[in-house]
Amino acid sequence: MQNARDTFYVTLRDRLAAVNPARTMVLRGVTRPGVLVEENELPSAYQPVDAFCLRWTGLSVDAQGALPLVTLVCEIGYATDGDSGNGGMDRGRLLSAMDGELVAAISSAPQHVPKMNYVAAAGGSGLAPVAMATNVFWSDVAFGAATADGERLERVATVEVFSYQEAGEL
Amino acid sequence: MADLVSRGAAAVRAANVLLRCAGGRSVLLRMPANASAGDTTEQLGLAAPEFQDVELAPVVFRKMRQAATALSVKVDKAARWELMVSATAVQGLVGSLGYSAASVLFATAFGVLIDGVLMEVVSATESGVFGTPYVYRLVLQSPLALVV
Repeated sequence: MQNARDTFYVTLRDRLAAVNPARTMVLRGVTRPGVLVEENELPSAYQPVDAFCLRWTGLSVDAQGALPLVTLVCEIGYATDGDSGNGGMDRGRLLSAMDGELVAAISSAPQHVPKMNYVAAAGGSGLAPVAMATNVFWSDVAFGAATADGERLERVATVEVFSYQEAGEL
Repeated sequence: MADLVSRGAAAVRAANVLLRCAGGRSVLLRMPANASAGDTTEQLGLAAPEFQDVELAPVVFRKMRQAATALSVKVDKAARWELMVSATAVQGLVGSLGYSAASVLFATAFGVLIDGVLMEVVSATESGVFGTPYVYRLVLQSPLALVV
């Protein structure tokens, strides 16, 4: 399951960076594409704005087939305060732009990639991630209602991510 | 202009004196080391960063009043504390650690270590005069593991 999560995140990150290379964030002193997985970062009370925050929530396993089919629910939260140079009056447009980027990244074909195992590449080993035998595939994105928190506009979108649990995979 | 600067500096000095007189003490700000550029495995939670503790002094540490803490059900369970920090100490850290602003420093911090207890930074605000901050107010939340 973790391999599917990792693969989906890396795929989404690369696609979002291709759609809008200017959407970046600075996290712990390093500029990176404006997308992160909450559970992989240090706990923080601060919510990043103008960036996509992935949160893994639901999980179900269908064990009827030859390989168990795992369904993961990924919530993608994002928020914007608008551009301070415009007095925040463009926050609706900026949220709409983020909606569009998410659609372009998730709904563009193909909606599947080979599942990768990144564990061997950890710790600066220099090893490449290992391609596994099955694919990770996902649904179209479903958008929740935009909510206003003061001058901040927020939205949570949901994607279902599917993968087959391979033998020996944790 | 020079008058405004000197008034701001006077406010900073006055705040430092007040903080020292009101039980000024030192605490440690726990900062994570910078991430490795382009390291995907770190973004996947496969590599933990190193931390360094840097001293903040003078500060005043006190418990927040209950009425001011009731923001949500989640945080009600955890006690909240207030840390008044000298702007002199903060500006020194911002410069030496290479951060662009105090807000970035506190947003990056993993927490504040006080008498061996690591507390999470919930919010950071500054008070200033003539454009010069003289004190920073951090709202801290005690670790949930200690909530009774």
